[in-house]
Amino acid sequence: MGSPCELVCEALERRAAHELSSIVAAEAWRIEDKFSRYLDGNIVDAINSAGGRPVEVDDETAQLLDFAVTLYELSERRFDITSGVLRQAWHFDGSDRVPADSRVQAVLELVGWHRVAWQRPLLQMPRGMEIDLGGIAKEYAVDRCAALLREQGGGPCLVNFGGDLAVTEPPAQRVRWKVAIEGERDGEADRIVDLKQGALATSGDARRFLLKNGVRYSHILDPTTGWPVPDAPRSVTVAADTCTQAGMISTLAMLEGAGAEAFLDAQAVTSWCRR
Amino acid sequence: MSKKDNRSISAALAMATCSLLGSGIPAPVDAQEEPEWDFNTSLLYYGEDGDRVKDYSVKAIARRMFVDDRVLSLSMTVDSLTGATPNGAIRQDTAQTFTRPSGNAAYDVQSGVLPLDDTFLDTRVALTANWQQPVGETSLVNVGASASKEYDYTHFGVNAKIARDFNKRNTTLAAGIALSIDSLDPVGGAPAPLTPMLDVGDTSNRIGNQDKDVLDVVLGVTQVVNRNLVVQANYSYSKSDGYLTDPYKVLSIVDGTTGDTLLRTPTPGVEGPSHQVLFESRPGDRTKHSVYTQAKYYMNGKVLDASYRYMTDDWEIDSHTVDLRYRWPVGEDRYIEPHLRLYTQSEAEFYRLSLVDSDPLPVFASADYRLGNFDAVTAGAKYGWKTSNDNDMSVRLEWYRQSGSVPAAQVVGNQATRDNYPDLNAVILQFSYRF
Repeated sequence: MGSPCELVCEALERRAAHELSSIVAAEAWRIEDKFSRYLDGNIVDAINSAGGRPVEVDDETAQLLDFAVTLYELSERRFDITSGVLRQAWHFDGSDRVPADSRVQAVLELVGWHRVAWQRPLLQMPRGMEIDLGGIAKEYAVDRCAALLREQGGGPCLVNFGGDLAVTEPPAQRVRWKVAIEGERDGEADRIVDLKQGALATSGDARRFLLKNGVRYSHILDPTTGWPVPDAPRSVTVAADTCTQAGMISTLAMLEGAGAEAFLDAQAVTSWCRR
Repeated sequence: MSKKDNRSISAALAMATCSLLGSGIPAPVDAQEEPEWDFNTSLLYYGEDGDRVKDYSVKAIARRMFVDDRVLSLSMTVDSLTGATPNGAIRQDTAQTFTRPSGNAAYDVQSGVLPLDDTFLDTRVALTANWQQPVGETSLVNVGASASKEYDYTHFGVNAKIARDFNKRNTTLAAGIALSIDSLDPVGGAPAPLTPMLDVGDTSNRIGNQDKDVLDVVLGVTQVVNRNLVVQANYSYSKSDGYLTDPYKVLSIVDGTTGDTLLRTPTPGVEGPSHQVLFESRPGDRTKHSVYTQAKYYMNGKVLDASYRYMTDDWEIDSHTVDLRYRWPVGEDRYIEPHLRLYTQSEAEFYRLSLVDSDPLPVFASADYRLGNFDAVTAGAKYGWKTSNDNDMSVRLEWYRQSGSVPAAQVVGNQATRDNYPDLNAVILQFSYRF
């Protein structure tokens, strides 16, 4: 998941806590192994190295692809799981190395879900294109783990994968889970959110940007232009029924750039936008 | 984007998520940013029976929680006190007249009645500020200041406390210190100790303003024994220096045989005391040591909180306090908490019911019933509930009963036929609201 993953539970017995954490760990590793674009031999690797040939995918992958298609449509092409190759042009390391537009446009040739043929269960895309489910998989994993814990009757639990989190039920003794949202600096909380039920997800990373001639380039790239979304907030935190919804709404808000707050207001969700 | 209706994005996303995750969509989200401030307010009534003290007290505590466990707390209390307190003189079979503490007027007490000074009327305002902050992973520091003002008393104080967790946070050691500087500006000026109460208008024995300082040190350990039991033990040391006398309290000077208070004749044409009484005198310092132990036991939602305190001081007052509370949940968000407190103390070495005329005058003497030998019981209950908007409300009703006795050796002549240490009954009613 590329981040610390934790389970907070109110189990009274050490054995029960161990059992619950085993369930979460197993599911997190399963999803990581299956969908990480950094690993060889999994379904994402099979798709990305198919060299233009069609690949047959399993049901779960198909569900995630269908979900990605919905987001692609809802975002009017700006949430695109094929946009990962833009990283070949952009390195958000805090430096001033903004790439030349010609370089960006060259890479952009390999971006765009509209170039992909997706007919469940077959996916076929041009050679050189890649998909990356990283923008969905972590939130999906949090919700899957929370669902498994609920099925198990695990009591009040909080599943937190790098700040994207969901709770299974309110804590027994304290009414609400207290969640600190990390701010600009490491380990320093920006605000405390009382969560009784539901999930929180945060998009944006204050440490990933480029700065040139006084212009800050956020790492949120618009796949329709190949350039960072102008005036994107530093971070957007959203509360929703599921971590997946929270994560997608916060990502869509980031893609709105200067319009993030207006977008969030219109969604009628509890959210916090940091500029 | 967003030529689309934004609301349809949420709805479409919810549907897509539902089909991604399958069934088992959890309950709707309930999240809110933690309010920056929370407030705890209470309204307290304390009423002693008869014409004695009534206190209406309003208190508000505002807490600002910062992230990373830093907390600022501010409190304000306003007390409105009315009623009368015993002035220390004994009952007589005749009416008695006393000069008021101001020295400007006199008041009469009926025969057979305990002399009460009814000029007792005051408003007290107290403010506190505290800052709490973690230091490193395992320590918590708390610093604060306090001030209070009433018409004849001003208090300033500072305090600091450090607590450190050990043993996987199962053990906490704490050390605290508090300093207080108080000044007394008694109505009419403080009287010189053991001087007689004078006629109205005669201020020749008044010595003006006084002050005192108090140093408190506390050392404590808290231990989590298991998941149901937490125990705590504290040692506290308290040292007071300065004017510790009550400027409004007197002692009757009595005949060694009859035990009746000696008569006195005011200057002709001037009101003044009808009997001979002396203003009390207490030592200029007091050192207290106390040990406090507490256990909180959790059992299936119920909590038993039991504590015991032993206090001893160099005035030779020893006291024992046992306090028991049992918090009993009633349904989801209500509870009832019965409370019982038992208290007993021995009298101060200089406690005197009265002073015998023929005996040499002691250096220290006080007839203040609070320095006497007495037992007290507080019994009652608190009922608490959550309001519809998740705030806490509670009401507490308690009765207090104090009964004491005077050492037999101090009872002279006719005093044996009188109630020398009358019982005190009080009722306590408190409403609290936290939001």
